[in-house]
Amino acid sequence: MSNKILDIKNLNAFYQNHQILHDVTLNFFSNKATAIMGPSGCGKTTFIRCINRMHELDPKAKVTGEIILHNQNTLDMDSILVRRKIGMVFQRANPFPTMSIYDNVLAGYKLNGIKKSRDEKDEIVQDSLEKAGLWHEVKDFLHRKGTLLSGGQQQRLCIARSLAMKTEILLLDEPTSALDPYATANIEELIEELKKDVTIIIVTHNMSQAARVTDYTAFLYEGKLIEFGETEKLFTVPKHKMTEEYLAGRFG
Amino acid sequence: MKNDIFFRKLQSSFFFLVMLVLSLMVFLPLICILYYVISRGIKAINLDFFTQIPSHVGDSGGGVLNAIMGSFYMVFLSIIIAVPWGLSAGIFLYDAPDDSRFAYLLRLSVDIIQSIPSIVIGIVAYVWFVMPMQKFSALSGSFALAIMMLPMIVRSTEETLRLIPKTLKEASLALGVPHYTTLFKIMIPSGVSGILTGGALSIGRVVGETAPLIFTAFGSPYLVHNILKPMDALPLLIYNCAMSPYESWHTLAWGASLILIFFTLCINLLIKIIVKKWEVVL
Repeated sequence: MSNKILDIKNLNAFYQNHQILHDVTLNFFSNKATAIMGPSGCGKTTFIRCINRMHELDPKAKVTGEIILHNQNTLDMDSILVRRKIGMVFQRANPFPTMSIYDNVLAGYKLNGIKKSRDEKDEIVQDSLEKAGLWHEVKDFLHRKGTLLSGGQQQRLCIARSLAMKTEILLLDEPTSALDPYATANIEELIEELKKDVTIIIVTHNMSQAARVTDYTAFLYEGKLIEFGETEKLFTVPKHKMTEEYLAGRFG
Repeated sequence: MKNDIFFRKLQSSFFFLVMLVLSLMVFLPLICILYYVISRGIKAINLDFFTQIPSHVGDSGGGVLNAIMGSFYMVFLSIIIAVPWGLSAGIFLYDAPDDSRFAYLLRLSVDIIQSIPSIVIGIVAYVWFVMPMQKFSALSGSFALAIMMLPMIVRSTEETLRLIPKTLKEASLALGVPHYTTLFKIMIPSGVSGILTGGALSIGRVVGETAPLIFTAFGSPYLVHNILKPMDALPLLIYNCAMSPYESWHTLAWGASLILIFFTLCINLLIKIIVKKWEVVL
């Protein structure tokens, strides 16, 4: 069994009077990829947005429970610090339109006022872009606008931007839902590589994607965790009847 | 049946013709104004016009340097007052929760200010600034103009920020960037063209205003550099000179009208340039 990195206990999430997540308890293991799967509206996105405290951005939202990272409950930590440790990549690529590719990668440092020397910056940019599998495509025009890249490249730029902050966990919220099959395959290959450096939690609609790239899968239905386990087992011999029906395409 | 289709086609061409003629007539006032102002004003334009102050009563010649400088000072000052003021309110409105009553009231107030006649704003500025200071001043005129600029700056700031995808804000927040840093370093730079356009439009709105200045800046035939003294402005000079019985002053008024129109044209051009140069592709 690998090391636990994130320990989630009795997580409940609310929006106004509506409860979105009910007592979700599960663990994430370091340097593994975990898929969060389930039908639309089951709370997948809310779940990962709780992990990096994005859910509470809306004053009407509330979260209770524990999310333990290195023996510390992130829900008690300063949300800004949590977000620097747990990066997030969104459904639609969102590079900063006013910044070059180079500055986009360094955005986390620049915007937080963390000074770096020229050499350090060059190193971070190259390292992050290499990890995101984008270096060879963009190394000759790092000072062009990030928004001029293709959709798949933009998404990898966003991954590089998160990696640059030396995050430990990377949350991917349906990162390929707006991409073509070729770019999707690229990102999927990348996830395999990224596991060397970070722990990956990926929300996906696409069951075959979950089966291809992840080690563990959590199946959520109506805000409740129905089943969690190793991807291979969950897909071949699901313990729960609902999981089986979902995988067979009978609902969702 | 055939007759029916013919009639319909006739009807359709008739309406097309009516709309074409009425559309063409939209040009008419502009062409008339431009023709009138240019043909009369061009005679006034020479070097003296830009370097001299108005001549004494009865003498010919003279220029409108005092009004050009006065307009420049007052518009500049009103920008300094209105931009930080309006920008802050606009950002605040963007940032306020949807159900905030205070934001609702603020938006309503901004809309009301927008629709207050400029002469009333002039009178209010008179009561607030001229009466306590016991003298007319360019500063009080600038305040009146700033109040007129305010609604446009507030609304354009808020609306521009709203057009920027929320995902951009989330991307920044997810990097652990604090809320206000995100606003000032990501959202505002991304909306800079819209915000600047709003600012330029508001300048265009106030540069030709006479009414708020009558009771505040009052006007002055001399070249004044002190913002605490009465000062002239192009629209004020036009108003005063056109009311006078002297032919040479009438010429000055036409010349001043011409440069005022030219100036607003430049602002419109400036807006086009801003949008082209600063537009951020999202």
